[in-house]
Amino acid sequence: MRALIDGSSANPATADASGPGTDLDVGGDASAPAVTPTVRAFLRRSRTWIVIAAVLVLGALIVMAIQGGARAPGAPLAADNPAPAGAKALVEVLRDHGVVVTEARSFDAALDAADGTATVLVYDEYAILDDRRLTELSEATDRLILVEPGFTALETLAPGVRFAGAASGPIDEVACDLGPAVRAGSLSDGQRLVTVDDEAADAGWQGCFRDGDFGFAVASGPTAGGAELTIVGLTSVFANETITEAGNAALAIGLTGASDELVWYLPGPGDADAADAPSLAELTPGWVSPVMVLAFVVVIVAGVWQGRRFGPLVVERLPVHVPAGETSRGRARLYARTSARTHAVDQLRIGAVVRIARVLRLPRSAGVDEVTDAAARATGRDGASVHRLLADDLPADDRALVDLAAGLAELEAAVQRSLDPRSAEPTDRDDPTGRRP
Amino acid sequence: MALTGRFVLLVALGVVPVVAAGAVGAPEAWLALVGWLVFVIGAGALDLSLAASPRRVALRRELPDRVRLGEPVTSVLSVENLGQRMLRATVRDGWEPSAGVAGPNRTPLRIPPFERRRMTLELTPWRRGDRRSDQVTIRSAGPLGLWPRQATLSAPGRVRVLPPFHSRVHLPSRLTRLRELDGRTPLLIRGQGTEFDSIREYVRGDDVRSIDWRATARHADPEVPGSTRLMVRTWRPERDRRIVIVTDTSRTAAARIADEPRLDTAFEASLLLAALASHAGDKVDFLAWDRRLRGRVHGASGPALLARMVDTMAGIEAELIEADWAAVPAQVRRITSRHALVVLLTAADSPGTARGLLSVLPQLTARHTVVVASVADPSLLDAARGRDDLEQVYAAAAAERGLLDGERVGAAVRRLGGLTVSAAPLELPPALADLYLELKATGRL
Repeated sequence: MRALIDGSSANPATADASGPGTDLDVGGDASAPAVTPTVRAFLRRSRTWIVIAAVLVLGALIVMAIQGGARAPGAPLAADNPAPAGAKALVEVLRDHGVVVTEARSFDAALDAADGTATVLVYDEYAILDDRRLTELSEATDRLILVEPGFTALETLAPGVRFAGAASGPIDEVACDLGPAVRAGSLSDGQRLVTVDDEAADAGWQGCFRDGDFGFAVASGPTAGGAELTIVGLTSVFANETITEAGNAALAIGLTGASDELVWYLPGPGDADAADAPSLAELTPGWVSPVMVLAFVVVIVAGVWQGRRFGPLVVERLPVHVPAGETSRGRARLYARTSARTHAVDQLRIGAVVRIARVLRLPRSAGVDEVTDAAARATGRDGASVHRLLADDLPADDRALVDLAAGLAELEAAVQRSLDPRSAEPTDRDDPTGRRP
Repeated sequence: MALTGRFVLLVALGVVPVVAAGAVGAPEAWLALVGWLVFVIGAGALDLSLAASPRRVALRRELPDRVRLGEPVTSVLSVENLGQRMLRATVRDGWEPSAGVAGPNRTPLRIPPFERRRMTLELTPWRRGDRRSDQVTIRSAGPLGLWPRQATLSAPGRVRVLPPFHSRVHLPSRLTRLRELDGRTPLLIRGQGTEFDSIREYVRGDDVRSIDWRATARHADPEVPGSTRLMVRTWRPERDRRIVIVTDTSRTAAARIADEPRLDTAFEASLLLAALASHAGDKVDFLAWDRRLRGRVHGASGPALLARMVDTMAGIEAELIEADWAAVPAQVRRITSRHALVVLLTAADSPGTARGLLSVLPQLTARHTVVVASVADPSLLDAARGRDDLEQVYAAAAAERGLLDGERVGAAVRRLGGLTVSAAPLELPPALADLYLELKATGRL
């Protein structure tokens, strides 16, 4: 491929150097008609679709705006979450019975609300609270309920209580004299267990809902600060979905409804002690995130660069294509499927007889018997065996058919050989030199 | 609009200011990123606005009208910039894939305002028929080469790709044999169709029965007064006979035998026969027929005959319809009412498909000499020899059956007064030419 420079013609009219009759002047001096629409034409032609897309996008934005404002925060065990994992059912029941439930999302709010008398329920899903704040919280209240406590929480508030795996099934052995537990009587499946060691037991800790020798689903005892602490292994006791199972509801209401005020404290991200650990942003240089965004942009731009088609696809009109020999192959498979051995061997025999007759120069009207006799004479074989091969034998099974076919081919070859003068010569000549002594 | 690799590189270079700003702080890095993106988009938009319009372009093609299949052809496209700006274009000519463009088909051109440049593409078409290019796509880059403009312009072009006529290699040897027929003494070949050629002096070896005594009496020998020279008559083969080649373009012609459609083999055979017959002074007419007339060459002679035949054949492809043989005698009658050699190029290989042909054959043989030429499948012969296992034996039986069917149809044709030629694709054209020479030698045209 090369580009030729057609002189330095400034005037298109004089630059016409075309052969006679072989040109296809596409546009003359006027520009060639464009197939690609202009931007304006494109917009005009696809106006309907643009309007439809705009309406859809606008509608989606409106729906998102409406839903985004009204949707409940979906945190697990949140007091205002009606989802299966939330705890709105319990909180509403408590409020109906006159318990003042205060939702706290930060540590300071929880401390303010606790005020020495209220029961505080803490569900620290991401183990945000450190030991200092946990201690502070336990000192600020008389009654503390820890739901699914983390390792730090147990270490800090209940040193003698340790994790002991999951329960094997529903638990109905109360095994303690804690009021709410006795009223509940049983707990639903899948509780997390804790053990209470001797030292803790001496300090006044007791476990409830024993699962064999493995441990307890609920443990209760005094903290170092003197508050009464209840540890519940799993959120299922309080969650909307499972609170109605077994004695869950009785235990939950018994624990949380013991005082007139309840602080429902779910620690938020603001409660983490930022001074302690460096964040990811502090560990990485400031340019990492922008460079990642830039890399993303580069990938998209490179995709557009490579993906933009150079003009429309060209259609190739292909002719019909019929592979020959399909009839023959189909017929062969038909023979094989129906095991048409006799039919197949008939075809082979007719072909062989016709060819042998042609080779032996027999008239076209010659019958099978004449061909058989002629073939037997030519090859020196027994006439009866040749006749069996060419006419009589019926293949009983597939092996016989293959043998018969091979026999026919062999006979044909023998007839051919018998007419070949080179094959007949050496039989009556012993001396290879051809001279007599 | 399109994007270039240079633009991608420019966007990627943004990593330098972003990292440099990142040394100061994260917000500065973000600021640098946004600033860089605004900068590259601005640069791209500027480039786009400065690019010459790819629409204000005049196109002109220079193409040869015809090319033989397998031969290269040069396509010239001259592009004229009608705009005020320098056109930095990359041009793609929209040829069909079977036009066989050599190279990547992206031609860079730099055309100053109101000037014209020529670009050439080497094409090697690999399919018969009309190869087309409907449009030309031009991508016009700006001075920075970031955001080129792109437009597709309508610029129809066409190259007619003619059948290859590979069988012309057989022509010289057949022409030699044709010349040998000329001037032969009539002993062996005299028949109805031979024509008196000339009278010449007897030489040793001439048949004494061809001595023309009246001519001898008129020719006194000047060297020996009173005696005469012996004169013999010579003959030449008949001339000005008519040959009608009817090519069947129905579904059987679409079958691919030995990697060549039957139709192409039929075209090869027709071309060789036509070349030979036009040299021998016969008139050749060509018909391509299935249910309607697909192509017809009538009344051409000499070099124009082959040119018109290949031109007619170029656009014909086999169609998946059944041939209507009943109308063929009428078509032949429209060409000639006198005796002619009618060559039917078809697939006479099974009684089912040949029934239509056989039913009209008596009408043709009553008036004309008819040759039915068909392509035999060499794979059937191979399959008929396989005897190794059960599957091969069944395949051999089926192939044998196919061959027998073909022979049966051939026998039926011969019984109805026609002649048959059946050969593998490569051998059919010379076999048909040989049959023609034989007919000519025996004066049966």
